[in-house]
Parts: sequence; C-alpha cells; structure tokens
Amino acid sequence: MSILQPVLQVLTSAAFWQVVVGGLMLGAVYALFSSGLTLIWGMMNVVNFAHGDFVMLGMYTAVVVWTALGGGPWASVPIAAIAIATLGVISYFLLVRHILRGPMLAQILGTFGLALFLRYGALWAFGANFKTLPDDLVGHSFVLAGLRFEGARVLAGTMGLVVTILLHVILTRTSVGSRMLAVSEDETAAQLMGIRPQRMQALAWALAGASTGIAGALIAMFFYTSPTVGETLAIVAFVTVALGGFGSVLGALVAGMLIGLVESLSAFLIGPVWKDVIVYVLFVLVLWLRPQGLMGKT
Amino acid sequence: MKRGHLAWAAVLVLVLAYPVIFLDSPVYQRMGALVLLAAIGASAWNIVGGYAGQVSVGHAVFFGIGAYASVTGFAHFELPPIAGAPVGMALSVGLAALIGVPTLRLSGHYFSMATIAVGELVRVLSSTSDWLGGAQGLGGPAMPRSVMDLSFLTALPYYYIFLAVLAALLGLTWWMERSRMGFYLRAIKDSERAARSLGVSAGRYKLYAYMLSAAFTSLAGSLYLCITGFVDPESGFGILISVKMLVMAALGGAGQLFGPLVGALILVPLEELSNSLLGGKGAGITFMVYGAIIVIVARFLPSGLLSLFAPKPRVAAPQSKPPQSTPPQSTPVSGHAD
Amino acid sequence: MMFDISRRKATRDVLALGAAAIALSFTTGASAQQSVKIGAIYPLSGNSASAGNYEKMAMEMGADIINNGNAELAKVLPLAKGGGLPGLKGAKIQMVFADNQGTPAAGQSQALRLITEEKVAALIGSYQSGITLTTSAVAEKYGIPFVNPESVAANLTERGFKWFFRVTPVAADFAKAYSAFLKEQIAAGQKVNSIALVHENTEYGNSVASVIADAFAKDGLKVTMKVAYSANSTDVQPQVLQLKEKNPDVAIFVSYTADAILYAKTMKELNWKPAILIADDGGFNDPAFVKAMGSVTEGLISRSVFAPGKAGSVAAICDALYKKKTNGDGLDDVSARALQAFFVLADAINRAGSTDPAKIRDALKATDIKPDQLVAGYDGVKFDAKGQNILASTLVTQIRKGQYVSVWPKARATDPLILPYKGW
Repeated sequence: MSILQPVLQVLTSAAFWQVVVGGLMLGAVYALFSSGLTLIWGMMNVVNFAHGDFVMLGMYTAVVVWTALGGGPWASVPIAAIAIATLGVISYFLLVRHILRGPMLAQILGTFGLALFLRYGALWAFGANFKTLPDDLVGHSFVLAGLRFEGARVLAGTMGLVVTILLHVILTRTSVGSRMLAVSEDETAAQLMGIRPQRMQALAWALAGASTGIAGALIAMFFYTSPTVGETLAIVAFVTVALGGFGSVLGALVAGMLIGLVESLSAFLIGPVWKDVIVYVLFVLVLWLRPQGLMGKT
Repeated sequence: MKRGHLAWAAVLVLVLAYPVIFLDSPVYQRMGALVLLAAIGASAWNIVGGYAGQVSVGHAVFFGIGAYASVTGFAHFELPPIAGAPVGMALSVGLAALIGVPTLRLSGHYFSMATIAVGELVRVLSSTSDWLGGAQGLGGPAMPRSVMDLSFLTALPYYYIFLAVLAALLGLTWWMERSRMGFYLRAIKDSERAARSLGVSAGRYKLYAYMLSAAFTSLAGSLYLCITGFVDPESGFGILISVKMLVMAALGGAGQLFGPLVGALILVPLEELSNSLLGGKGAGITFMVYGAIIVIVARFLPSGLLSLFAPKPRVAAPQSKPPQSTPPQSTPVSGHAD
Repeated sequence: MMFDISRRKATRDVLALGAAAIALSFTTGASAQQSVKIGAIYPLSGNSASAGNYEKMAMEMGADIINNGNAELAKVLPLAKGGGLPGLKGAKIQMVFADNQGTPAAGQSQALRLITEEKVAALIGSYQSGITLTTSAVAEKYGIPFVNPESVAANLTERGFKWFFRVTPVAADFAKAYSAFLKEQIAAGQKVNSIALVHENTEYGNSVASVIADAFAKDGLKVTMKVAYSANSTDVQPQVLQLKEKNPDVAIFVSYTADAILYAKTMKELNWKPAILIADDGGFNDPAFVKAMGSVTEGLISRSVFAPGKAGSVAAICDALYKKKTNGDGLDDVSARALQAFFVLADAINRAGSTDPAKIRDALKATDIKPDQLVAGYDGVKFDAKGQNILASTLVTQIRKGQYVSVWPKARATDPLILPYKGW
C-alpha cells in the first residue's frame, strides 16, 4: 500500500501526463527525422553520417523562407522537402553511388566528409548566430483536458506521424515501393525484372531527403537553428534507428516515440543529465540483446 | 633496387632531421610533432579498424582514459603526467576486454554503433565526476617542475619522443602483420564465416586486436596531455576524436602499415595551415576544404591514398560473368557475425 | 640642340625629383608609422562561434576608434582622439585574429603562430576557460603579455603566471553580487525562501552554479533545488514541469544561448513564472536571445558587466557605435568585456611607449583606470600580483521593454527594479 500511494500520486498528477504527452510528441518528431536515415540504411546498407546536417539544412530552409518570403510552415515544409530531396539525389549521384560497392570505411569516410562540408558551408553561408522563428507562426498554445499543447509542437508531432506512416505505406504498398525493396534485396534479380537499380536508389535518397527536410522545417518552429545543431540531432537519429531496426520505418516510429517518452520521463523523474545516460544504456542493451532492433528483419 | 633503397634512406634522414631543418620555425616543428601524434592514434586504430576490419567509431574512450590518467596523476598525486601513461594503458586494455566481449560479436554497422554509444556514455559520465574535474576538465603542470614533466618550450623534444613511439608502434604492427595473428585477422576481415569454419577463433583474435589497439590509443592520449597540458570531456572523449583517427587511417589506407601516417601527413597540415590562412575570418572555410577533400578521396580512392601505389592486380582474360549483385562486405541483417 | 638642352634639363629635374623623393621617404621613415600587432584568439567556428564573432567585432571597433578616432568619444576617452597610439608616435594598432576552433590544441597552435610568425606584441583571448589555459601557457613560456577579457575559471590566476592579466570578474564576484542583491530584496520584504539553481552541465554552468551555491550557503540563502541538464538538450519540458511543480520563489538559470532560448520558450508554453527569475549571463545576454525572446521575458533579471548607462558616457557612445557596426545588435556582457580588455591593453601599450613585451607587461601591472573611463561597469581596472583585476564587478540588469537596463547596485542603476517577473 505504501509504495502504491506515491506511485499513484505521480500517475495522477497533471505534470506527469504533461511529460508523457510532451515526450510522445517529441518522439514523433524524432521518428520523422530518423525515418530518412533508416530508409537509406535498410535499402542500401549505407550509414549517412551527414544525416544530422541534412536536418540542419531543412531547418535553415525554413528560416530563409521566413526571412525572405515571410512564409510559415505551410510554405517552408514543401520547399524544404523539395530542397533536401534534391540534396539527397545530388549526394547520391556524386558520392554515394560510388562508395556503395566499397568497404564500409569508405562510406563512413565519404558521408562524414559530406557532413563537415555541409556544416561549415552553412556556417559560411548563414553565419554563426542562432536563429529562431517567431513563436506565433503556428498559432498559440491551447489547453485540452488540463494539459497544455503548443501549436508548433502539435503540428510537428502530428506531421511526424503522418509523414512517417505515409513513407511506410509508400514503401510497402505501392508498386514503386516494392520496386525499391526489390532492388535492396537483390539488385541483379531486380535488374532482370526490368527495374533500374540506380533510379530506385536515387528515388530512395529523394524520399529520405524529403522526409528529412520536412522534419527540419517543422523542428525549426520550436527549436533553435545553428550550423552545428546537426551534431546533436544525428546522435538521436542513430539511437532511434538502431532501436527501431535498420530499414524499418515503422520501427523508427515506435522507437522514436519510445525514446521521446523515456527521455522525458527520466528527465522528469530522475534528472536531466541522467536522461542521456539512460538512453545510451538502453541503446547498448538493445544492440547487445536484439541487434536487429524492435522491428528489424531477423 | 638501389634507387629504392636510396629513396628510403633519404626519407629516413629527412624524417630524423625535420625539426632541425625547421629549427627557426616553432610552428612547423609543432606541426611535425602533431602529425606524429595523430599518426600514433590513427595507427593504433588501424590495428583493429584496418587489419581486423572492426570499424570502431568510439576509440576516443581509450584516448581520453590515457589523457585523464596522466592529468589525474598530476592533479591528485603530483606525479609527472607521463607516469599516468602505463596506468592509462592498463585501464584501457581492461576496458577494451570489457566492451569487446559483448560488442565484437556484432557485425559491421552494429559494432560501430555500439562503440559510438559507449563513447558517448563515457563522455557524459566523465562530466559528472568531480574527481575528473567534471565538465571543467583538469590542467597539467602550468610550469614544468622537471624534465620528467615533459612540458617543453619548443616542439623539438616532443617530435623525437612521438617519433620513437610511432616507430615502436609501426614496428609492432609490421611484426603482427607477418605473424600468425596478422594472418588470422586478414582471414577474419575477408570473411569471418569462412575463417571460423577453418578453425580460427575469430572472437579471440578480434579481442586481442581491440586490446592492443586500445593500449596504444591510450598512450597517444597521455602524450597528447603532455604536449597540450589540459583535458576535458569534450577534448578527451569527444566523438570528433574517434572520427579523426578513423578518417586519417582510411584516407591513407586502412589495413596498410603506413596508411595512417599518410593520412596524418595530409590532414594535420591541412587543418593547421588552412586554419592559419583562412581561420581568422571565422567563416569555417577550413573545415569545408577538409570535408571536400575527404569526400573526393572517398569517392575516387575508397581504399585510401596508398592504393594509388598498390601493384595493380593482373587482369584475367575477360569472361562473360554476371555483374556482382551485392557488395562483398554486405552486412548480414541479423546483426551478429556468424 | 634645343632638345638636347631640354632633355638634359628634364633629366636633371627628374633626378632632382627622384632624390627629393628618396630623401623624403627617409625622413618619413625615421618618424615611421610603425604598427603594433595584437593577436586575438577566439572561437570563430564551432559551437561558440556566435560569441567569438561578437567579440571579434568589438575589438575591431576598438582598433578602429584608436586608429581613426571618434569625436564624440574623444571628449571622455583620450585614446579615442585617433591617429594611433600617441605614446608610440602615432603607431596604429593592427589586430590579427585567429580561430581557436573550440579546441585547446588549436588555440595552442594559433598562439604559437601569432607569437613566433606574426610577432605580435601581446595576445588577447580566448573565451573558453580550458582554451585560455593552454593559449596563455604558450604566452607565458615566450614572455608575451596575455590579456583575458572573459574566462571565469578560478585556476587561471592560480598558476603563478607573470604575464597573465584577467580583466573580468570571476564566478565568485557574480555569486557575491547575487547574494547581496537577494539579501536586499529580503530586506525589502520579498519572499526568498526557496531558490532553484538550473544549470547546464559543462564547464561554464557547473563552475558558476557551484560557486553560487557556496556563496549562498555562506550567506544563509537556501538553495532548495539544483537541476543540472545537458547543454544542447533537444527538449526541456520535463525540467520546467518539475520547476513549475515545486514553484520556487527564485529561479536562477546558468545557460548558453541555445538552452536559454529553449527554456524561455518552454516556460511560456507551460505558463510558469517565478516571482524572481534570474538568468546568469551566458546565453541570456546574447543578442540572439534578446532579439528572439526579449519581448516575452519582460522583467528577466540578469547580470552583466554592461549597461548602456547615461547618454554621453563611454558605455553609451560605444554601444551606439557597435550597433552601427553590427546592424542593430548592441553591446552585451561578452562583447563589452572584449572591448574593455582591448582598451586596457591599448592603454598599457600606450603608456609603455614601446612594443617591447616586458615594457608592456610592466605597464599592465601599473594599470589604474577609473570607472568613468570604462565601457564595462567595473569599479575600475587594477591588477593584483596574480594578474586579477581586483576592481572587477558586475551589474544586475533587468529586461525592460525588450532591452537590458541596470537596476543594481543602486549607485549605478539607471532604472528601478520591478518585481515580480512579468514575462509575457
């Protein structure tokens, strides 16, 4: 009885549920920007070390759309999607295509070099100062069932869910998707069936880039933008993808929400520094006990 | 034959005389020392990352242990920093065994991810420890108390110390290359499954490589502390340190004896010189150039720069062969090496 | 014939002209306009690049004032008359900037280069305490004066260095200021029974927070909550919710810009306003923060060594000049400290009358600048034997209509303090 009481107290406090909801919404965003990473990883076994910087450029796209055109998310999200999709395709043709057949080391080398180039290119182009978008770009916060919801986060979380599920549907239920999966399973067989592998791979990079760009544009609504923000986000993405299972977009969704939840709860119940420790320990445990992640292929 | 020997002799003389040639340029002397230090770290990484093919992206763990062992020896026990080096090496070997046993079972990307996680974990934990100086870090001797403190005005003594350590490390690596262990590691790198089926205990040899690599990475960390005089969680355990080791080895040629040194010879001066020439404007162009060069090498020479000088394999008479469908190093999706 | 004569004449004229030119160049060479090179090592790339760049601009402006003069400023500050340093016969100051890239090793390398290749007469730097540690060690070994405008780690002046001079107050001074400020509020009837200390978990946050906690303990102020969080967090909702639950009377934040913005936004999202909100410098004084969140943080209390002050003061004029240079951003705590240290160094070189490092060092030791000559709100500049400016102090400021004004100590306040925290 005595243990149950404080537990019940926590479970019924408004703060607790606020943390839970906040964590889930955050997690949906994590899922969104990790889905691009897991798609590429699953499809062609490439770890994109520049992933965080793709997100960063999506964020800067939103900032530029705001400062140059005065546009909010309804403008910046599609523009960022197109911009980063293009970046993805260019990266594929200029770099990734050539290191696919090489040793894993070359992939790490190549994408890391790309990351540096993009990160410091952003520093050169946009300067070092932090940029933030105005608060009220997406409407104000509202209260529902005693919990506060902030417009930008709700939008980001909802779109995170929608886009991730959309991506999953494209991959698993459309003919384009099955062609992409065919290429990832067996390139030769796919070729023999008339599918052009390079085209499919480029498309994968376009899709991954688009979802990453959307994620960036949405995050920019409530997070600060700077050239080095990609570093922080990249680690979160890696953990999410590893936990969810390399190649599984749905896994990234589940994992993202889980990580968002665990992070928020441990920060609230234990202490903020320890939230990082807990997430990394979780990460190591998953890699050790179930390396294919929650929903990866066995 | 003779011309080859003469060339090598000339290189040797150049290497030995370098700091004396640049006696009036402390900046170039220091650059030489930094190249050698980076080469030590990258060559240490090469043992497990290049020869054994286990791409660790968390080697900073051992580097940081070496640096912190040295600095805490000074800060808490008033010992000269170098006294911490053997302690750091022992700790690193122990930690390598601890991490290695569970993680070396994982293959390819999974192993890399695990090393990143462990590296970040250690970095975050180190910032919570007051004994390690917490987030502020710890400083070495502000002014040298004796020669043993290894705190010199010019970089000339460092150059020779690092050169000696690098020579020893490369000598050890060369010997390993030709030993049974080297043979086994090559087999494991090529195909672990095949090696195991032939009776090679892959797990054991991978672990040996990992532990050996950890020891020398730790030594590099201790030497870093001697020349820099300060370490904190970011400069000791930061992921950039791990990645730089990897990038230098890969750029030059992973799995090749002199690959890391070649990588260091290119990247360290590149970083220092471009920072000196362009850094003052603060536009980050230094790293844009750095990144671009890495991308170009990865794109055109995925096996590193030394592959330019590798003897070209004899091309067999063309046969009608179906194109390769999957890259030879594909990772089994199960995540475990089998 | 005529041509011959005229050619000879022309040749003679040309030769005469040439000789005169050469002679002239020799005379101007004798009273030659030397220049004095000062090296500045700052984070111009990486995570702290924002602060580094603001400091660079401040020092560039300082050099410009000394070299080219500013009429309005010259009324209060003699060195602003222009035409270089009078003590060195009009030698102009040449700033040489280097990027420390956020790593101690790069700072060291650049210090070595500036000293041995650029042959600078003195160094200024380097923002991050760990990097200041290594760069100043190089300067000490080579016997070059090293002026530090803004690093607060206590150990920097505990190394027995003879060439290191720190102009800024240190964490202990800030803590004393907060303590005195809060005690004054208690005396005025404000409730200060519970204090929360929220700080980021790297060098800056940890060192300042622990010093504040110690000072408060000694003065009988109760720190009831200590929350350490990782810098560069993606989300701070859980922390703010915790704080909202416990609802301390006073909340003190020690954060960098990114976290500052995040916290301000999250507090607004979750609608939590403590009665007294103190935000320790760092991120909260960054113009980026003020621009982004100034309108929703009305009444936020911070500490800064800078407040524009009365019209016509050194601080006010410099602020206006800086705004012109940066297209709208005024001086803040960090950039003001950089500018101040620059002026201290320029003044010392001027008094030394030479670029000889030892003479500059002696001049620095003898520095004694009065507060009305300062752009920063110190009580003066005077170095003790360890190289610490013992007259360094801080102001407590408050955001009023999106701008910081000084509210404490009363003697330097330009506006009255308004409590409780209004926010949005």
